[in-house]
Amino acid sequence: MDQSFELADSTDWLETPLSLLAPFESSLRCQVCKDFFDNPVITSCSHTFCSLCIRRCLSTEGKCPACRSSDQELKLRRNWAVQELVDAFKLARPGVLDLARRENVRIARGEDEIEKPTRKKRKVNQVEEEPQVPETSSQGRRTRSQRSTNSSTDDRTVPQIVPEVIEDSQDDEEYMPEDGLVSCPICFRKMKEEAVFPHLNVHQQEEEAPKKTPTKTASFGSLKAISQRGLTLPTKQPERLPAINYSILKDNALRKKLRDLGIPDWGQKQLLQRRHTEWMNLWNANCDSKNPKSKRILLQELDVWERTQGGHATAPSPFTTSNNVMRKDFDANEWSNSHDDDFKRLIANARKKSEAQSRSSIPGESSSSSGQREPEPQQGAGLLVNGAGVEFSPDTDANHVIDLSG
Amino acid sequence: MFATKRLSKMQEHLPPGITIVKCDNLEEWQMDIKILDDNPLYLDQTYRLKFIFSNKYPIEPPEVQFIQCAASTGTPRTIPMHPHIYSNGIICLDLLGTAGWSPVQTVESVCMSLQSMLTANNRDERPAGDKEFIATNRRRIRDINFVYEDDNV
Repeated sequence: MDQSFELADSTDWLETPLSLLAPFESSLRCQVCKDFFDNPVITSCSHTFCSLCIRRCLSTEGKCPACRSSDQELKLRRNWAVQELVDAFKLARPGVLDLARRENVRIARGEDEIEKPTRKKRKVNQVEEEPQVPETSSQGRRTRSQRSTNSSTDDRTVPQIVPEVIEDSQDDEEYMPEDGLVSCPICFRKMKEEAVFPHLNVHQQEEEAPKKTPTKTASFGSLKAISQRGLTLPTKQPERLPAINYSILKDNALRKKLRDLGIPDWGQKQLLQRRHTEWMNLWNANCDSKNPKSKRILLQELDVWERTQGGHATAPSPFTTSNNVMRKDFDANEWSNSHDDDFKRLIANARKKSEAQSRSSIPGESSSSSGQREPEPQQGAGLLVNGAGVEFSPDTDANHVIDLSG
Repeated sequence: MFATKRLSKMQEHLPPGITIVKCDNLEEWQMDIKILDDNPLYLDQTYRLKFIFSNKYPIEPPEVQFIQCAASTGTPRTIPMHPHIYSNGIICLDLLGTAGWSPVQTVESVCMSLQSMLTANNRDERPAGDKEFIATNRRRIRDINFVYEDDNV
């Protein structure tokens, strides 16, 4: 909320000499939540999102947010290569960013006098190479010499890393995008991307009789250790929840289902339905996680949902409910009954306010009182008064409801 | 708040012609947009947009409209002339409706869409039924059912 609050963002790189990392980082972020991928899954149209993000989208709209082609939750598949990329990048990010920023400071102070000649030379290299880049990448594989010079230009601010990049022969295998092949996260065998998931099943079967012998553990050092730890399949996979066809379920049957799942079962059918959908999304997204959270934590997350969007959300707020008003099955009587108190309170408030205004001839006072209302948007009442202040006479309210339900 | 983290992630690196005016909370933002080419309808003009975000953003679209500012505020703003923009600032654009919205959209992408919607326009007129609409409409933007009949925008 606070603007000074430090948040990692892909634009952090733009001011540094490593500005090319900005697009790199944004491609590691989910297009829906703009955060780093969390349990990335791939759709049948080959777009990747956080598991929870895409589940929420699909349960609302049934379409891929990126290309609008229809998709189903059932077709989502985990994208562990991306998870690994994100994890590794997040680990490296603070150090690299810090280094890049310090380089900035150094340049600003003019301390890089000695380096300047070499920098110039590298720049010339870069210019020569630039047109080659698309060419070589389209060929699929670059030669060692091209790549090492490339990386030396890109890494010019982190010179100590450069020799490592060039000399480490294992790098060829780690550098995934080069030959269009990816390595299996478990046995590190190289294969086509499409082949990875079928291949993973093999490991899953092997897991039962564990005889996994990673071949090159030593040569990869700590990085390997991380990916290994992270990617071994959880021993006990939580079972996915199936979708429910809400329209064939009576209220009580749905209520019972919720009770059986161990989640709150109060509220109207519509709320039960939304709560079940959210729980299913949270639960199934958790099933996509390498380290599934406990049910207790998921229940806490559902509680957050309940308070922000569910039954405990600022109910009279037009934000959360106007949608329901538009529904065909919207019950206008129920609505006016349940919100009767709110309407009365708001009308009373409005009267009080106008009385106060008419009593005090000082215009400053009335404007300050309305000004105070604005910074408390959490309260539905405050919002309603702001958003639709004009409408709050009993007559127009009645019209409002009738108009919409008809 | 699901929205908290998402909204505050906006950048200072905005596309040309787009500036943030007010983003001190996560319910309402204001942005200024300029039309960058030499379309005579919008030459040298700046327009102010108001975004209202719900708890369900970005799954659901924000409510977006142009707003007026009096000259006395120091930043006079008018509602741009456009056959899909009502004179009270309400915009008829499919991507702002639930059907056209996609969660991958951002405040910037919406601003850019509106920029291009204005740029491409050469008709100095309001939508049909403008007077009636602004006189009778009491609904919130999200509750209006627009019919998107015109594809040439």
